[in-house]
Amino acid sequence: MTQEYRKEKKYGMVIDLDRCTGCGACMVACMAENNVPFRDNETDKLKSITWMRIYQLTNGKSYPNEEICYLPRPCMHCEGHNGHSPCVTVCPAVATDYDRETGIVSQIPTRCFGCRYCMAACPYHARYFNWWDPVWPEGMEKSLSPNVSPRMRGVVEKCSFCFHRYQLAYEKAASEDRRELRENEYQTSCTQACPAGAITFGDLINKNHAVYKIKKDPRAFRLLERLKTNPKIYYLSSREWVRRAGDNYHPEEETGKIKSHQ
Amino acid sequence: MKIDRRCFLSLGIGAAAGTALSPLPWKLMDDASIWTQNWPWTPVPPDGEISYTDSTCTLCSGGCGITVRKIDDRVVKIEGRENHPVNNGGICVLGLSGTQLLYGPTRVKSPMKKINGTFQKITWNQALSEITEKLLTLRAEGRSHTVAAIAGSSRGTVSALLQRFLTAYGSPNFYCQSSIEDSFSLSHIQPQNNKTIPGFDLENADYVLSFGTGIIDGWGSPVRMIQASNAWKTKNLKLIQVEPRLSDTAARSDEWLPSKPGTEAILALGIAHVILQESLYDQAAIDYHSEGFVTWRTAVLGHYHPDKVAEITGIDAKTIFTVGREFGQAEKPVAICGRGKGNTPVSVAEMSAIHALNVLVGNVNKKGGVFTLPEPNYISWPEISFDTKAETSLQTKQIAEGGLLHRLPSAINEAEDSVTLLFVADANPCYTLTDTKEVIRAFKKIPFKVSFSSYMDETAKLSDLILPNHSYLERYEDVPVTSGLRNPVIGLTKPIVNPLFQTKHTGDVIISIARAMKGSIESSFPWKNYYQCLKNGLGQHWNPLLNNGVVEITYIPEFEEIPRFAFQIPNDKPQVLLEGNENKMDLTLIPSDSMRLSSGYIGAPPFMMKTIPDTILKDNNTLVQIHPKTAEKLELKQGCYAILKTPRDEKKVKIHLSQGIGEDIISFPRGLGHTAYDSYLAGKGINFNELIGPVEDPFSGLDVAWGIRASLIKA
Amino acid sequence: MDSAFIPEGVKRCPFPQFLAGLGLAGVVLAWGIFAMLLCWLKGLNQTNMNDSYGFALWIWADLAVIALGGGAFFSGFLKYIVGKDELKNIINFAVLIGFICYSSALLILAIDIGQPLRGWFIFWHANVHSMLTEVAFCLSCYFGVLTIEYIPLILENRQIDKIPFFHNLSHNMHEVMAVFAATGAFLSFFHQGSLGGIAGVLFGRPFAYREGLLVWPWTFFLFTWSAAAYGPCFTIFLIKLLEKITGKKLVKDNVIDLLAKISGWMIFTYIFAKIIDTWYWAVVTVQSKGQTLMDFYDDNMFYGLWILVAEIVVGGIFPALILLTKKGRNSASLLWAAVILACLGVCINRWVMVLQVMAIPVLPFEDWALYYPSWQEIATTILPVAYGVILVMISYRYLPIFPQEKELNPIESH
Ligand SMILES: Nc1nc2c(c(=O)[nH]1)N[C@H]1C(S)=C(S)[C@@H](COP(=O)(O)OP(=O)(O)OC[C@H]3O[C@@H](n4cnc5c(=O)[nH]c(N)nc54)[C@H](O)[C@@H]3O)O[C@H]1N2
Ligand SMILES: Nc1nc2c(c(=O)[nH]1)N[C@H]1C(S)=C(S)[C@@H](COP(=O)(O)OP(=O)(O)OC[C@H]3O[C@@H](n4cnc5c(=O)[nH]c(N)nc54)[C@H](O)[C@@H]3O)O[C@H]1N2
Ligand code: SF4
Ligand code: SF4
Ligand code: SF4
Ligand code: SF4
Ligand code: SF4
Repeated sequence: MTQEYRKEKKYGMVIDLDRCTGCGACMVACMAENNVPFRDNETDKLKSITWMRIYQLTNGKSYPNEEICYLPRPCMHCEGHNGHSPCVTVCPAVATDYDRETGIVSQIPTRCFGCRYCMAACPYHARYFNWWDPVWPEGMEKSLSPNVSPRMRGVVEKCSFCFHRYQLAYEKAASEDRRELRENEYQTSCTQACPAGAITFGDLINKNHAVYKIKKDPRAFRLLERLKTNPKIYYLSSREWVRRAGDNYHPEEETGKIKSHQ
Repeated sequence: MKIDRRCFLSLGIGAAAGTALSPLPWKLMDDASIWTQNWPWTPVPPDGEISYTDSTCTLCSGGCGITVRKIDDRVVKIEGRENHPVNNGGICVLGLSGTQLLYGPTRVKSPMKKINGTFQKITWNQALSEITEKLLTLRAEGRSHTVAAIAGSSRGTVSALLQRFLTAYGSPNFYCQSSIEDSFSLSHIQPQNNKTIPGFDLENADYVLSFGTGIIDGWGSPVRMIQASNAWKTKNLKLIQVEPRLSDTAARSDEWLPSKPGTEAILALGIAHVILQESLYDQAAIDYHSEGFVTWRTAVLGHYHPDKVAEITGIDAKTIFTVGREFGQAEKPVAICGRGKGNTPVSVAEMSAIHALNVLVGNVNKKGGVFTLPEPNYISWPEISFDTKAETSLQTKQIAEGGLLHRLPSAINEAEDSVTLLFVADANPCYTLTDTKEVIRAFKKIPFKVSFSSYMDETAKLSDLILPNHSYLERYEDVPVTSGLRNPVIGLTKPIVNPLFQTKHTGDVIISIARAMKGSIESSFPWKNYYQCLKNGLGQHWNPLLNNGVVEITYIPEFEEIPRFAFQIPNDKPQVLLEGNENKMDLTLIPSDSMRLSSGYIGAPPFMMKTIPDTILKDNNTLVQIHPKTAEKLELKQGCYAILKTPRDEKKVKIHLSQGIGEDIISFPRGLGHTAYDSYLAGKGINFNELIGPVEDPFSGLDVAWGIRASLIKA
Repeated sequence: MDSAFIPEGVKRCPFPQFLAGLGLAGVVLAWGIFAMLLCWLKGLNQTNMNDSYGFALWIWADLAVIALGGGAFFSGFLKYIVGKDELKNIINFAVLIGFICYSSALLILAIDIGQPLRGWFIFWHANVHSMLTEVAFCLSCYFGVLTIEYIPLILENRQIDKIPFFHNLSHNMHEVMAVFAATGAFLSFFHQGSLGGIAGVLFGRPFAYREGLLVWPWTFFLFTWSAAAYGPCFTIFLIKLLEKITGKKLVKDNVIDLLAKISGWMIFTYIFAKIIDTWYWAVVTVQSKGQTLMDFYDDNMFYGLWILVAEIVVGGIFPALILLTKKGRNSASLLWAAVILACLGVCINRWVMVLQVMAIPVLPFEDWALYYPSWQEIATTILPVAYGVILVMISYRYLPIFPQEKELNPIESH
């Protein structure tokens, strides 16, 4: 890998909730890409590792006026104030870090010693602890990808924005003497799989990338914006109740007014 | 030297301090941490050369194109194939989990024979000679017609080979799972009596009126439907969803019409009433499809006034008027049906009532409408040759009348020895057929059952002999796709990896059995192997298929070729009635389908199980959805246990309260309750099919049960 | 049997009775150790913690035990730095309790982390921004100091003291103890504070988050203050308990009275600050996050507003008022009530700052997460108690922990 200076990027996503069908393909695309382990009983959702998790939101009205919206939640790769993500600042052993080159919040399982402070810090529940040794039934370890090391028991893991895909793309570009990646060269597994085309991934500060424009859509909002976590996942919804569900509001407050670190 | 206590203690302390200051403890500490980073029981996937190969997914009838990523000879990831006519890069949870089926513990790794109730490995030679001998003996005894076969689909070369084998052998007992396509075909039975299939040009429609169709819950070709539904979002198409439950499709529709379950046909007739009354229909279309129109029109205008329809369906008259007008005035309106994933047929009356809407607005065989297409008969093989034995035994009546699979279990249960040998390919009837208990009872009565399954599914587990097929990632096979597409598409699976185990292509197995039978049977199978049979059979399609992995069979029928639709006078009750006594069981149980649950013959792999919400499955319990008011009446609470009783069975379930379902309705997730496969799937929840039994459509005989009467009692 | 080891001039129970007591505590200890080994060998799946409850019972026990052990540093601070010489009569005991609490805290941390063999990464790969790093450093250093403070006590055992080397060592250590006590007090201020900082810096968790001074949130100062305030109450509580068990007076009333009075003032001032902090947080911080105070209390059978009242009024204002009045301190039952309520008060505070933080949903579409500990968690949490009992038993029997015991309980004949 070249050590030359590369232009700063802020990779992020815009997820269109008007398009998302809740089909779950992004969840499994992530599991398959990142060697996420599985167990006999995965129904305790507080112990089930899903880097990408789909929430089902409802508008709280009664039959037949109930509405449903699905909200896929990867790690938000929070930038916080100047790279001080909620989780990164608290990790005592620098096992998770804010990468200033890509804006990606990394997680280094071999460094992590499992104190779980980062989990307490993350308001999005994007972090998962390996309560058990990962076990693949005999033969199934063949399906594991060498690009992402399986994690051991006792450490925390989370969505990496498929960082290995960035590395592979970058290595390829470097071998062609290019220092910058094209937009389509680095796409995450969930983005690629989504049959609804609900996820758009790219560099939020690159004017030529789709996300740069879409994030300015009037439907756009981010989760818990007012906590100043400064997440890099934007959501789109044309429904006011969905946008409202993205943050805590006092009854008289309007959505779309809270802006921090944009 | 005398060591006194003081000296001893000093030495001890000195040693301790020395050790602490030496590199030893630090080295040990470091080594210990390095050991935790390299625990030998945490696998390290070996690196290797990356390659990508295109193929086709066979895990549901969707037929998506896939791109398989390999590291050396290991399949590590399955992705959607870009620019594929079906799925254009998209993929679903099941397709993505295919690697787990390939490498998973559920694979049957060699031919297996059940000896004293347990499976034992045998060689292919043993297996094939055993089955050949059995078949020869039966034939010699003149009992060829007691050999039956069940296939998952009626299309494709493997299904065709099996049917061909049975025919040449002399048995009329070939059965397939029926689906919504059968209903469509039957409601179009015309003088020419050709089987037709529907083609839906949904991408180009501008108003979709869906009668319970799970457009994004797995209907048709699931990935394509999700893509189409999103194309609509950008085009401002209007989707109206008629369904008793707030399914994901209903949730995304522009308007959800929460009709009472089973009243879809009546609502369609109410909408037809508005179109007729306000003369919004297309006269040219009516002139062409004129058969029965006048009487039908009188009946609809007479009996299906929106006010009356509103009472039955629970959808108010104003809405019916609005929808009727919108549908009549839209440029390319389409009405579609087939509940949920559309794997179960609907009654001909219902299909006719709904399809009549398409005919009325003249949107048949037009861009953005419904196409009536001929069956894609793309396989060309030489004629079958028959000997007299075959000719005579082919004259015997089918065991299940009308060739209807759902009648087979009761036929077997009623007449001993009606089936002596059964082949099952690409199907799992012991899970997917309704009234599963009866199915299993019938299955156990069959003296010899042969499964071709690659996986240890419920049917394979109950079989006497398993002749495991290669997995879809290890074999060539044509994959015809028709469901929900505008044009049929033929995909091709390719051997991405060499077979991992002692498996054999089912096509090859059938051919070698046929050849061992000698005589006319042998000569009906003039191929060296399956590959040659596939290649020859596909003729002109073969080369494009091999090169591109997919061919589209575009066929635009001439106007005169369009089968004429016959308007049928709806009888008093176009509803399919529910099994069960209304007074004893006052609730209605309906199934719910979801993209995250596989309800077909392939069970959900571990990754898929991870995506299931805990409002559907918690530990090993199935959760049923009911309205809070239903719960209040029955004194049930969120998360409590209840006994769910239907005329067929009773099961313990957990309660989930939901505002997405009407009162007195129970919604039950379909796809759980497997007893076979692996520990990730077996024993989780309840199989909906056990709670319900067949209800026949008086016209077609198809099993059109859409629900069943039920009661819930606090456990 | 072991009379040669028992300090001169004091009476101890018969050896078999002592052994029986040890055995009883030993059984509990063994149960805890068994649970601990399960956690180490099988992993944290032995607990009922989950991805919502990354911190649970243990961390609460950890924080509580450290707050309660605060008597050690604060007595040290009062004796060596402020110069309250009477406190020399309880300082040994305070150090012993501190030693037990801090060693327990370290043990709990070693069980709590998912990769105990990598625990040292916290030192080697330290992240200076993390409050937990600060905790780890200060905690370990202060534990070292407590060990150094505890060693001379051991050396005062009758038999050990006979060895000139140890005698001299002990003497010399006593000489420099002021320096260690001062260092300990300083370290303690920081680690008590950084434990408070752990919750206070979580800006993603409005319930825990507090504004503050420089890099420290207000909880940093509140934790230090509360440990100093409530720690002595625990020391008094244990002395009283020990006096009840042994049936002997061990410390003179004036010493207890002094400590109680100081504690009273400390609690009083602390609870005042705590009320202001809570009020500011509720009307400013929480409001700015789009939430209201009742969002954190109303929704749930367990975390009602009662817990706030219990912490501040019952566990704060009540004991403070009792301890501030002479009548309250002089009445045995009121003193008992005060120290017990105070201990409960600080434990509730630590509970709230750990477990309630985890229970409250932050995303509006999430639900409260409740948790109950597994037996392994309970056993490992009780383990330090058993260990503490054993250490107190042994120390009390063989070491001159209470300098006033001999004087208060003269023995007629040997
Ligand atoms: N671009 C880039 N450069 C890097 C790094 C990076 O991430 N990117 N990482 C750095 C780091 S952390 C490291 S450790 C180094 C690693 O750098 P290297 O030590 O160069 O590691 P490899 O290239 O993985 O392996 C070296 C060679 O050892 C051969 N080999 C494998 N097994 C054996 C054996 O048993 N005996 C012998 N004789 N040869 C064997 C392999 O085939 C390979 O050719 O690279 C550093 N350089
Ligand atoms: N398939 C395969 N696997 C291998 C190897 C191989 O050759 N092939 N080599 C092995 C070897 S030798 C090594 S060393 C490992 C390397 O494995 P890793 O350590 O996982 O490799 P990197 O990708 O170099 O670094 C991981 C993360 O560290 C982040 N990072 C960079 N600087 C800092 C920092 O200052 N602080 C923090 N907290 N994070 C930072 C990066 O953003 C990146 O996300 O891989 C091992 N695994
Ligand atoms: S979402 Fe959570 S884990 Fe991800 S960066 Fe933000 S705080 Fe960290
Ligand atoms: S659990 Fe791991 S990543 Fe999280 S804070 Fe602790 S050491 Fe850091
Ligand atoms: S970006 Fe990659 S790691 Fe993150 S959720 Fe998507 S697939 Fe998973
Ligand atoms: S794959 Fe796309 S449509 Fe499906 S749940 Fe994920 S984001 Fe939604
Ligand atoms: S929709 Fe069907 S064919 Fe397409 S990927 Fe999913 S399982 Fe395979």
